[in-house]
Amino acid sequence: MEEKELERRLAHKIPGADTGIEVKHSFCSICSPSCHCGIDAYVKDGKLLKVEGTQGHPMNDGLLCTKGAANRAYIYRPDRLRTPLKRAGARGEGRFEPISWEEAYDLIAENLLRLRAESGADSVAFFGGYQKWFRWQLARFAYDFGSVNYGTESSACMTANKMAWTTLTGMNAKMDMKNAKLYVAWGGGNHHSHHLAAKKAENFHRNGGKVIVVDPRNTPLAARTADLHIAVRPGTDGLLANAVAGIILRNGWQDQAYIDKYVHGFDDYAAYVTSLDLQEVSRITTVPVEKIEEMARLMGTVKPMSIEASPISLIHQTNGYQTVRAMFSLSVITGNYDTVGGNQPNIETFAHLGAGYATREEEFIEANTPAGFENRVGAKRFPLWADMVHEMQSLDLARQIHEGTPYPIRGLFALGFNYRIFPDSEYFRAALEKLDFFVTADLFMTDTVKYADVVLPTCSSLEREELKVYPGGFAKYYLPAIAPLYESRSDARILQELAERLDLDDALLRSGYRKCLEYVFEPTGYDLDALIASPLPLKAPCMRPYKPHAYIDGGCKTPTGKLELFSERVKTVGAAAGLDPLPRWYAPSYQPTEEYPFQLLAGVRIPNAIHSHLHKVPWTRSLRPEPMADMNPADARALGIAAGDTIRLVSAFGAITVKANPTALMNQGQICMYHGYSEADVNTLLDRNNVDPYSGFAGYKNGICAVEKL
Amino acid sequence: MRMVFDLDVEKCVACGACAVSCMDQNDIWPDRGDAPYRRVGVVEPLPKAGDGRLTYLSLGCMHCADAPCIKACPVGCLFKDEQNLTLYDNTRCIGCHSCAMACPFGAPTYGPDGKMRKCDGCAERLKNGLIPACVRNCPTGALSCVPEETYGTAAFDRSLRAIVEHAER
Repeated sequence: MEEKELERRLAHKIPGADTGIEVKHSFCSICSPSCHCGIDAYVKDGKLLKVEGTQGHPMNDGLLCTKGAANRAYIYRPDRLRTPLKRAGARGEGRFEPISWEEAYDLIAENLLRLRAESGADSVAFFGGYQKWFRWQLARFAYDFGSVNYGTESSACMTANKMAWTTLTGMNAKMDMKNAKLYVAWGGGNHHSHHLAAKKAENFHRNGGKVIVVDPRNTPLAARTADLHIAVRPGTDGLLANAVAGIILRNGWQDQAYIDKYVHGFDDYAAYVTSLDLQEVSRITTVPVEKIEEMARLMGTVKPMSIEASPISLIHQTNGYQTVRAMFSLSVITGNYDTVGGNQPNIETFAHLGAGYATREEEFIEANTPAGFENRVGAKRFPLWADMVHEMQSLDLARQIHEGTPYPIRGLFALGFNYRIFPDSEYFRAALEKLDFFVTADLFMTDTVKYADVVLPTCSSLEREELKVYPGGFAKYYLPAIAPLYESRSDARILQELAERLDLDDALLRSGYRKCLEYVFEPTGYDLDALIASPLPLKAPCMRPYKPHAYIDGGCKTPTGKLELFSERVKTVGAAAGLDPLPRWYAPSYQPTEEYPFQLLAGVRIPNAIHSHLHKVPWTRSLRPEPMADMNPADARALGIAAGDTIRLVSAFGAITVKANPTALMNQGQICMYHGYSEADVNTLLDRNNVDPYSGFAGYKNGICAVEKL
Repeated sequence: MRMVFDLDVEKCVACGACAVSCMDQNDIWPDRGDAPYRRVGVVEPLPKAGDGRLTYLSLGCMHCADAPCIKACPVGCLFKDEQNLTLYDNTRCIGCHSCAMACPFGAPTYGPDGKMRKCDGCAERLKNGLIPACVRNCPTGALSCVPEETYGTAAFDRSLRAIVEHAER
């Protein structure tokens, strides 16, 4: 009887001394660093049995999304890399032979040093993709090697938002939604991409807060929380924002005392935004005049107001930087910036997260930056990016590999790299064939890995130690819940061991992850051992309460020290490139034509995927087994297309075959197609030269296509 | 304690976190032919309603008070436990699908061996003070599993709130 009872408890994964199932604290890193939820990992005999959200965790308080719940199937994906590999067949063929770590390091050192001797250190580019956590160490590693060419996939994500806030205020910014009365969810905060933000929005709405949702789609957030839903035409959000500003100024709803004291360039800005013709704006944005006026009334009169901009959708228009700058300007003219309940300065704490306190990360990264940094990839083509971002603009990497100008790139060292993230991804795939030496570290045998000369197996967040910071002033130092699978090693260990092998002149980096953390977190007052011992994240001893206007009173980190509606920085560095110091709107390059009548939005989030990471995980894939294009039911009917029909999306650059998903979620005239599918890569339909001249971001949401029923 | 499963359709977004958590708990592998115990779906707007409203649902065994599957099974595999959950012992299952035909929610599934399987309400977890896997991770709080008494109160509260909200509109 007792034996049967134990069997049953084991089968149902009940933790306890009798079952030998332990619950360990870990975290999910499948998604972006801003959503890394705490995980309770059920572990027995070194094997992960099950995951749950950690209750009481400041990030997710017990909840997990579709993706996070799939951690076990993700970690044990059958195509996990088990050993280091050396390419045995042609590039892309996928034939490899297993080698030892020692052999792999020898090959890497031999080739990187050869390229450096032959063509200079800059001829080797260093790229950091998912899972992003190692970036601070990878950047330093690249600079130690002597290359100016370190870059990340943030060349296509989030950075343009930070650039816009920084242009305007001198720093990145965050919301203080908890104390707001009006929340503007501009293209973001959706249930299907960021469940934690959506939950906050629902609570905010339930507690009587006013909500404006600007989103072309009929999302659950819009349907359930919006007092005002603006289904703006994609690519025209910036015009809408400027028109709203014009109405606010015409009605005198601006905070004039605040503007007089803190703002630079108000008159030029006011002249521009008040010159916009509302009828014309309504025609272009497809938003009725009364709705634009209602939006202006709410934003001009309900205080305090927090504005949230999606870190992807808006800045994937080729006018994205100007668009988000126009939106954030609304926070400034209404006096909502640097206030309780408004938008507040956001200190970059660590590993792409603002947690409310400072570390020495920037110093750590930039200490050994080599000379000639102005020659990094993309710097000449995107002067504003070069002035504001301490990385190469990776969008230009494939071009430089192909064309060899202004100098050749012969080697690529990557941690987590997927060529399919780039527009016209075929062009980057072809660039990989031209490289002299390509090494990448990854968890899985991906399409990109098949092009590498040497492949290193890395491990997931459940298999490694990592210190993570969290908004609100928190941090937690996680130890591995299980040992690294097979022969995999953590990215941090790889960098340390390779720094040793390459004999880089950097004692700190060579001293390992923990020692580097001690350096970076020295000013925080944290005891790292206490951060390990505590089951939940701890508050930083250095954390100070927020003081309204403290930052703007002290002088902003902008050229004039003020909030710049007219940017002196853009005027100085962007004049030659024709960049506008005002957040003036311009139409994105591609507009539907007779041949390609639909706006194509690549990569709009679906709940069961994040980039390509989960396409091969059976649990999440079973929820949406086929690559599907979302389209409006009336558009589908007009083309004789029914749900589940096989269709082709065609552009001037390529074509993919997918299934049709007619849904009332979508507006007419628009197609949403998720990215990263090997068999239907929507990025092959995009123009690689269709980019935002301010940020270098590609127009992922500015494609056009035709839809054909097969 | 008698337990009740409930879905608040005002909160569900059919994200599927419940379905995946269920697969994790019960070792369900769709790629190996296993049918999931819980599914999510989006119901497109009903033309007659004319409000363009999408409905999001999560469906699994509802553990009905008067479960039709129990009566339908000719070999008596299905039964109620003390927590009011509809459990089963499929040793004698003949794979006749009578339970599936009787179930309005499509809860019973069949494995590669042809025998019926379905959600057991995480009965063993409940007995150990843990809530069912699907409920535990549900990011919107749409799914719940609560004692019968609490459920009655919650349902009444929800009705009251709906009346107030309706009046406000």
